Amino acid sequence: MARAALQIMRDTVHALLMRELKTRFGSSKLGYFWALAEPALQAGVMAIMFSLIGRSSLSGVAVALFVISGIMPFKAFSKTLTQLSSGISANKALFAYRQVSPIDPILTRLMIELATFFIVYIVLLGVMAWLGFDVWPQDLLALIAASLLLIILGFGIALCMSSVLLYWQDATKMLAMIMTPMFFISGVFFCATMIPAKYWFLFTWNPVFHAIELSRDAFFVSYTTPVGSWDYLAFVSLSFVTLGLMLYRVNRIRFVTL
Amino acid sequence: MIKFENVSKYYPTKKGRRYVFKDVNIALPTDVSIAILGPNGAGKSTLVRMLGGADYPNKGAILTNKKVSWPLGLQGGLQGSMSGRENCRFVARIHGFKNTKEIEQKVSDFAEVGAYFDEPVKSYSSGMRSRVAFGLTMAFDFDFDVLLIDELGAVGDANFRHKSHALLKSKFETTKLIMVSHSMGELRKYCQAGIVIKNENLTFFPQLEDAIKDYEDTYVTAK
Repeated sequence: MARAALQIMRDTVHALLMRELKTRFGSSKLGYFWALAEPALQAGVMAIMFSLIGRSSLSGVAVALFVISGIMPFKAFSKTLTQLSSGISANKALFAYRQVSPIDPILTRLMIELATFFIVYIVLLGVMAWLGFDVWPQDLLALIAASLLLIILGFGIALCMSSVLLYWQDATKMLAMIMTPMFFISGVFFCATMIPAKYWFLFTWNPVFHAIELSRDAFFVSYTTPVGSWDYLAFVSLSFVTLGLMLYRVNRIRFVTL
Repeated sequence: MIKFENVSKYYPTKKGRRYVFKDVNIALPTDVSIAILGPNGAGKSTLVRMLGGADYPNKGAILTNKKVSWPLGLQGGLQGSMSGRENCRFVARIHGFKNTKEIEQKVSDFAEVGAYFDEPVKSYSSGMRSRVAFGLTMAFDFDFDVLLIDELGAVGDANFRHKSHALLKSKFETTKLIMVSHSMGELRKYCQAGIVIKNENLTFFPQLEDAIKDYEDTYVTAK
């Protein structure tokens, strides 16, 4: 039974998907629950904090929604980045089968992250709607586009990381060190209009900041981003994907051998 | 026929590249079973892994139009965090089987590891590992022209040896072996030809006895 290369890849990704889903969500009974609870709790805690300092709306948007619209894309980015970066090392034993090539676990995890992101987002917004918030995004397509570009950015950086890890194991630690401050400078709980315009340059280098700005612009009628740039976000995302694919191509044998 | 074209393979060490194979050009027949002979660290497992597509040469290519199995051994193949059953499902799926139940059952019946079939492979003893690993290839009804075996028999108990021997014999017409073992008795039982690894190269002997003699002359000093 001869299969075309693309068919083999499809079968392999399917097999990896079944395996990854089981280890990701099936290992603890509450696996699926945590995927939902984690961003919900974070948004909840921050909404409470803002309420305590006497704010009920930010830029004319309910605090809880404002925070969710920042946390969800940020989570999608950081999860995509960490999960995809470790995809190769977690599946190393399976490269003994020639059908499995190193890009397969990365693509598998990308699919899982994409699906998890959209499901969790929809469920969270559903709950918010049930609580009486107006959750329908102003420009749904733009919201999806900003989220996708951000996830693609995570995919691109993760591809680069996979290659870097071949030469420098401690890169994971560096990444963890970078990701912690990223949470605070990416605009999860503030937006550009809260910052004096002369300090925007401190934030606008960060593509994640752009993605969150654009998400909010797309989400809320009352918010128009003064800085968010589609061109910049798309350019950085696609640059990382290109660089990542080139590094992958150069190192594709090393992933299996070492 | 398995063709080696200018195959070089090295491992980076602190003292520079250590070549296991250097510019190997050879054609191995696939109508006889072949034993691979060489001392520890000569590159037997590397050779088997390269044949099975689990590793690549640094230079050159290994070409064949035969169906070669993945390397059956203790290190590769089974993922430790998955159970025996999950490993079976995985292997069945990547080979394009939609319904994996039948294969799971076959492997389970052959391996006879009982309830451990649903436990993670890392909790297995080496004997149990080899039972499952061997059961897996068997479940594909020997769709392979060449089966790669790396020291698999060494850890099995008498019952398993008997069973796998009977199975291999019954499939001998269609499936040939390329086999690594330190037990000459086992090699004599299965193989007709031999390869000796020396001087970073491969030497093929159509008669196994010649290969064993050459191996002993080259490497075995205490007689």
